[in-house]
Amino acid sequence: MNYLIHLLIYFDIYVIVALSLNLVVGYCGLLTLAHAGFYAIGGYSYALLALVWGWGFLPAVLAAVLLAAVLSLTVSLPAWRLKGDFFVLATLAVQALVFSLLYNWSNADAPLGSWSNLTNGPFGIPGIPRPEILGVALTDSRHFVLLATAVAALSAFVVRRLTASPWGRVLVAMREDELAARGLGKNTRLFKVQAIAIASCLTAVAGALYAAYVGYLDPSSASLDESILMLSMVIVGGLGNFRGPIIGALILIALPELLRFLDLPDALAANLRLAIYGLLLVLMMHFRPQGIGGEYRLR
Amino acid sequence: MQILLNGLISGLSIALLAVAFQIVYLPTRIFFIGLAGLYAVAPYVGMTIQQTFGLWPISMVASVAAVVALSAAFEWANHAPLTRKNASEGAHLVSSLGLYILLVQLVAMLWGNDVKTLRTGLDATYHPFRPLDDSVLTGSQLFMFGGSVVLLAGFLVMLRTTDLGLRLRALADNPIQFALYGYNVNIHRLFAFGLAGVFATAAALLTAYDIGFDPHTGLHATLLAVVAVIIGGRSSFVGPIVGGLLLGVIRAQVVWHFSARWQDAATFVVLALFLLLRPQGLFGQKTRIEAT
Repeated sequence: MNYLIHLLIYFDIYVIVALSLNLVVGYCGLLTLAHAGFYAIGGYSYALLALVWGWGFLPAVLAAVLLAAVLSLTVSLPAWRLKGDFFVLATLAVQALVFSLLYNWSNADAPLGSWSNLTNGPFGIPGIPRPEILGVALTDSRHFVLLATAVAALSAFVVRRLTASPWGRVLVAMREDELAARGLGKNTRLFKVQAIAIASCLTAVAGALYAAYVGYLDPSSASLDESILMLSMVIVGGLGNFRGPIIGALILIALPELLRFLDLPDALAANLRLAIYGLLLVLMMHFRPQGIGGEYRLR
Repeated sequence: MQILLNGLISGLSIALLAVAFQIVYLPTRIFFIGLAGLYAVAPYVGMTIQQTFGLWPISMVASVAAVVALSAAFEWANHAPLTRKNASEGAHLVSSLGLYILLVQLVAMLWGNDVKTLRTGLDATYHPFRPLDDSVLTGSQLFMFGGSVVLLAGFLVMLRTTDLGLRLRALADNPIQFALYGYNVNIHRLFAFGLAGVFATAAALLTAYDIGFDPHTGLHATLLAVVAVIIGGRSSFVGPIVGGLLLGVIRAQVVWHFSARWQDAATFVVLALFLLLRPQGLFGQKTRIEAT
């Protein structure tokens, strides 16, 4: 039972990530590699605010979301001008900078959270507290799963409403033909800023949930590998609609568990899982470029 | 002087990989991340052959041959069919990424995740500029310097003087026109991929002799190479070489003035600046990037 709860919490977290990434990649048609950066920014903001300054869960998450929204400008401003491979490169630069900051903003002599040792560098932040909501401490996983599922459901609802709204239709129009959308009087730059900001906020929430659940965070959550994993999740699951990313998150959760039955040594299993991901990406591009349940083909 | 030299030498290996990237990117517009996988495979093949036969020329030839074959296989099995299907830039990018992941994980499964070295008695140090300057270079650095200069110069001469070089430049300039003149585009693309394999192997082996290797070094090296391409200009074959050297020097200066851990941050700040202020690079023609 505990095992299933653990899986469910991971599934909740990744559903939020996949749905938000789909807003950028699937609805705006902008392939981004910076998503793990915002995930880690959310996680780190929550961890530091809760651990060092003793903030509660809700204000800490709110602050993380605000920070992610402001920093999302680093991705959305390049999106005004750059397209295709160049936009991917710009997001890669953002990703590398976030990782570099988290990895290097440390000083072994200063206490954690002070100005010269904000992130504790490669050693990460241990002992992140579980949230306390309305006076109830969610130290038990059985209680935490309720919170995670509620947040995931709320995010899914928000994404669903947004994409079904006129706002979502403008995103699709912009993806298909930006010039035409501008010709119809839509401020496409503003829409890009909004969509990327919303996606970054959602993934920051997911990062905060992850930090609160695992209790430990290190810079690898902002690594390029993590971004690639998130990207392959939405690409395999499907782009441009609601069910695609959820299928992708399910596969991401299910695949390692299925490999567990093969009884491989641990090191080999991790490599094999990633190798299967690589193979899936290649096969997808050949035989079903829109993903398993998706509607949009990457340009 | 020492810092400049170190920077130039590490810049040369970036330049080699940048040229490998550019050879594929210009004619095909494929963002070839699979290059990182090739870069990762090369030293392992070299090491295995070295251990079996104990002769370094054989191991070098074997790793070049293996990587060229792999690179051509990438084109033959993945990119050529995708191009026939009229797949998008993004599809090429993602499938290339998939190939990279697959290859690196296979390498890690076969040879393990740990760092290895290829040292073979190149640890002696030299003072090449003794009377003028006291800079120290290791044998492997000198070896790297010589090897990459010969390869890069050879490549540029090949591009300018031979018929094949002319055809490659023509293919890079306008693939459709090239096909209309009756040349076989697929063979030339295959050749471009093979040549990229040669340069990737050279970069990987030279770096492996100097500082060692593990399965995951490839992606980082390739990203540096791509940054070098952007700095140098993505529409020229000389640009990546200059960009690579410049990037190597900048990174060495960062180590000197700040610390080695801010190298990557500085690199990507440079990338962001170029993308925003001079997206065509140092050697590129001015075009609107939206147009391509």
